[in-house]
Amino acid sequence: MATRPLALPSPFALPSPLAMLLRAAVLALLAFAIFGPLLNLLLWAFAERWYFPNKLPIEFGLTYWYRVFQPRGNALASLGTSVWIALLTVAFSLAVAIPAGYALARLKLPWRGAILLTFLLPQAVPNLPVYVNIAQVFYQIGLNGTILGVVLVHASHGLVLAVWIASAAFASVDASLEEASRNLGASPWTCFRTVTLPLATPGLIASAIFVFLESLDEFTGTYFVGVPDVTTLPLLMFNATMGGNYQISSITALLLLIPSIGFMLVVERFLKADVLAMVGR
Amino acid sequence: MKFRMLFPVALLAFASTVLAQTTLNVVTAGDQNMVDYVNNYLAPKFEAMNPGVKVRAVGTGPGDAGSQKIYEKLSAQQKAGNNEWDIDVAVIHQLASATMVNEKLLMPYRNDVSAGKLVSRDTAKNALGANVDGYVLPMFHSQIVFAYNPELVKSPPKSFQELNEWVKKNPKQFGYNGVKGGMSGVGFVTGWVSAYSGMGDKLEKGPYDASTAPAIDKALSGLKEFNQYVVMTPGNAGTLDMLNRGEIAMGPVWVDMFYTWQADGRMSPKIKLVLPSPGLPGQPMYYVIPAKAAHAALAKKFIDLAESPEVQADGIIKQFNWYPGIDPQYVQPKLDQAAWNKLFTDVSPADLSKYGRPFPLSPYFKEIVEGYERVVLK
Amino acid sequence: MRGSAGEGQRQHPVITGKASTRGAALALIAPALAVVALFFVAPLAMSVVVAFRGKDGGFTLEHFAKSFDFYTTDLLFTLAIVVASTLLIGAVAIAIAGYLTLGGNPRTIAVLRWLYRWPLFIPFVVAGQLMRTFLAKNGMLNHVLIGSGLIEPLSAQSLLDWRGIVVAFVWKQAPFVTLLLAGAMASLEPQHIEAARNLGARRMSVLIDIVLPQVRGTLLVGLVLSFVTMLSVLSVPLMINPNSPTMVTVDVAYRISTHADYPVANALCLLSLALAAIGAVFYLRHAAARVEGG
Repeated sequence: MATRPLALPSPFALPSPLAMLLRAAVLALLAFAIFGPLLNLLLWAFAERWYFPNKLPIEFGLTYWYRVFQPRGNALASLGTSVWIALLTVAFSLAVAIPAGYALARLKLPWRGAILLTFLLPQAVPNLPVYVNIAQVFYQIGLNGTILGVVLVHASHGLVLAVWIASAAFASVDASLEEASRNLGASPWTCFRTVTLPLATPGLIASAIFVFLESLDEFTGTYFVGVPDVTTLPLLMFNATMGGNYQISSITALLLLIPSIGFMLVVERFLKADVLAMVGR
Repeated sequence: MKFRMLFPVALLAFASTVLAQTTLNVVTAGDQNMVDYVNNYLAPKFEAMNPGVKVRAVGTGPGDAGSQKIYEKLSAQQKAGNNEWDIDVAVIHQLASATMVNEKLLMPYRNDVSAGKLVSRDTAKNALGANVDGYVLPMFHSQIVFAYNPELVKSPPKSFQELNEWVKKNPKQFGYNGVKGGMSGVGFVTGWVSAYSGMGDKLEKGPYDASTAPAIDKALSGLKEFNQYVVMTPGNAGTLDMLNRGEIAMGPVWVDMFYTWQADGRMSPKIKLVLPSPGLPGQPMYYVIPAKAAHAALAKKFIDLAESPEVQADGIIKQFNWYPGIDPQYVQPKLDQAAWNKLFTDVSPADLSKYGRPFPLSPYFKEIVEGYERVVLK
Repeated sequence: MRGSAGEGQRQHPVITGKASTRGAALALIAPALAVVALFFVAPLAMSVVVAFRGKDGGFTLEHFAKSFDFYTTDLLFTLAIVVASTLLIGAVAIAIAGYLTLGGNPRTIAVLRWLYRWPLFIPFVVAGQLMRTFLAKNGMLNHVLIGSGLIEPLSAQSLLDWRGIVVAFVWKQAPFVTLLLAGAMASLEPQHIEAARNLGARRMSVLIDIVLPQVRGTLLVGLVLSFVTMLSVLSVPLMINPNSPTMVTVDVAYRISTHADYPVANALCLLSLALAAIGAVFYLRHAAARVEGG
């Protein structure tokens, strides 16, 4: 997010070489804490053989990359499905979260707190038993095995982020601009379309990132609602990780980084910091 | 081969569906290599025999959790009242198969496939005391064994008694995964109870008798003391993981997982296996067909292929070094002696038949596992 | 908690009283609410029924009794882990976001901003795997510590117990809260901070006395979201420490996969939800304070 550093003069700062050293040391520690575990991911992705007493892989290679990308493995197709589902989930979530966020930010709602908490519910319950029930319902109404079914499950799980952040985005739009537009004779809809929505867009895009990542991480709901007709890469990753297939799981995790970071980079241009200030209000 | 003779007949039978692409959904519990096996080995063979059919393999994850997820999908379709279920062939563990037969989620099919006559193990009829006769065919058999690092353990304990003494001399060198992290830990616990209660046969064959509870609890209280000298590992794969990094010198593992880890370079080729007396449990993975599978006839053909002696020899034994699902006498002639011997490098056939035991009957199983939570964990 | 800085300028018109606007508000929120109600609350209700239904089909509390009998320790353990993780996440997020906002060295800020976000893109299950191989007794962390002479080989210990779970949670969730918090801090009025600095306030006290009170709401929301998310994550404790004591999600999975015991599993889910309600209480108090404050 484009945070704006307040480059203040620092009258009480440490003498500068010492300060520099200290800063470098803290940054190095933080870098180790963040990239140390990630280095393991990278090593396992290319490790052919790695076992005690060797502290590093004995042999590197691409065998497991071939295995992931073998024609029948469908890794690329699954990755495509995962990204497609994530994009649809973002679109669907925003479509319902924008009106909801506007109502929460601008209109008087009874039970406002309870409504906000309802959206939190899907994040708060260990979801396996609930997804079993969803599967039953979706089989009844023919949604099982469809992309739409998976999108609905992902959306209900990620909606708290979309709604809370959308509401914050609308709350941060300066109301006097809307009033000015209304005073000039704009209808409420025109006012919303030409003033409120454009000003809230950066915040809505911020919520899109989180919903996208949420969808790209999800596998329990995908299994119960999608499999065998819809399979995604996180499913493969989950099974490989739980079975201790470190090479396969590391490679799939690396593959999933591509859309995650790509999506973030693309939408980050639209981000504005002050939206995040209002999240959850 | 019988299925080869069936081939032209089947071709006629399916001539109508050949035009439209048919997808046979094979959903398998277990590790990713099971999915790869279906995808890379079985599917091309089957698709070549059945033009117009595409095999799609999906994994549900390792251990009983993976099988339970298959149960949940089938159960959801049963409760929803659907007439065509989306899984044609499933590969599951014993525990789930008992539940699924009991809830009428499976179709009896053994008599409809020629390979049905090739199975001989008791587990082809009986899963943890539940009668699954006709509903299942074992894909392969697996066995819990102790894996140990011979550089750290010169003479491995050959029995539970010896193990109990060994851990006291070598604290924190033995690791297992309790009862919440998968069946290799559960199997170790039931093996311990069999050994220390002296009721192995009764636990495996029944009949269930509630008055054995104190004897089970007593055996478990010995395990509580034993646990002070061992490391608890995070799951079936967690035991292998700690062996991989040399953090433990010995632990109970599934032999099929062990060989997979070795083949994938995650386990030193030096690590060896031993099956202690009076034994550890083993269990097969079963091929099953859901009661309302959309393509039941194709599913039967698929299993017939998978259970043929050629596939069992070349796929299960040669590729994975797993114990065959059908009677070995049909498989051995299809293999050279070296490949056959490799199967028994560490554990001899005699040990396997003597110390490879079934899991206890389900009421005992439940009693032991919950007893572990009550007696050992509290 | 609305920041006093933004209060005057961003006052938005809260339309009151008219039934029609209330209807409009409900109509606008209805689709989103319907999604959650249909695809989560209704299936959850099915679970609630199972949790309270006995073998004979009548109402019973026996599944809850069994849950408490077997898993009270795990419930407390779960709460302790999640509370500790939440506090640590808060501390890390405040430190990083605080430096991003108030820090004096632009290059450090640039590096820090690039650095802290990476775990955001790593799914929980992978975070669990990474920590398992990183924090183990013969894992990379100990190799580095021993290699640099900081600890003796014999004193190397495994962190794969409650500590490993906390580390994994903080590693994964702190960037999320930091992201929210840094955004909130960046939107504050710079004049207030500059004024305080000109009066000679130290950076730490500017952070604590001036910046934090204004972003309290965002921090709280980020922490509540993390708190409830961590409560429902299965893969991290399953990968790091599924043995006793462990987190409730592991017990739920175990009751299902080993015992096919859905009643107790669902009862445990509801108890986990009760723990999540603790987080919700903080949130509600914040929301109530906001209503009073305008």
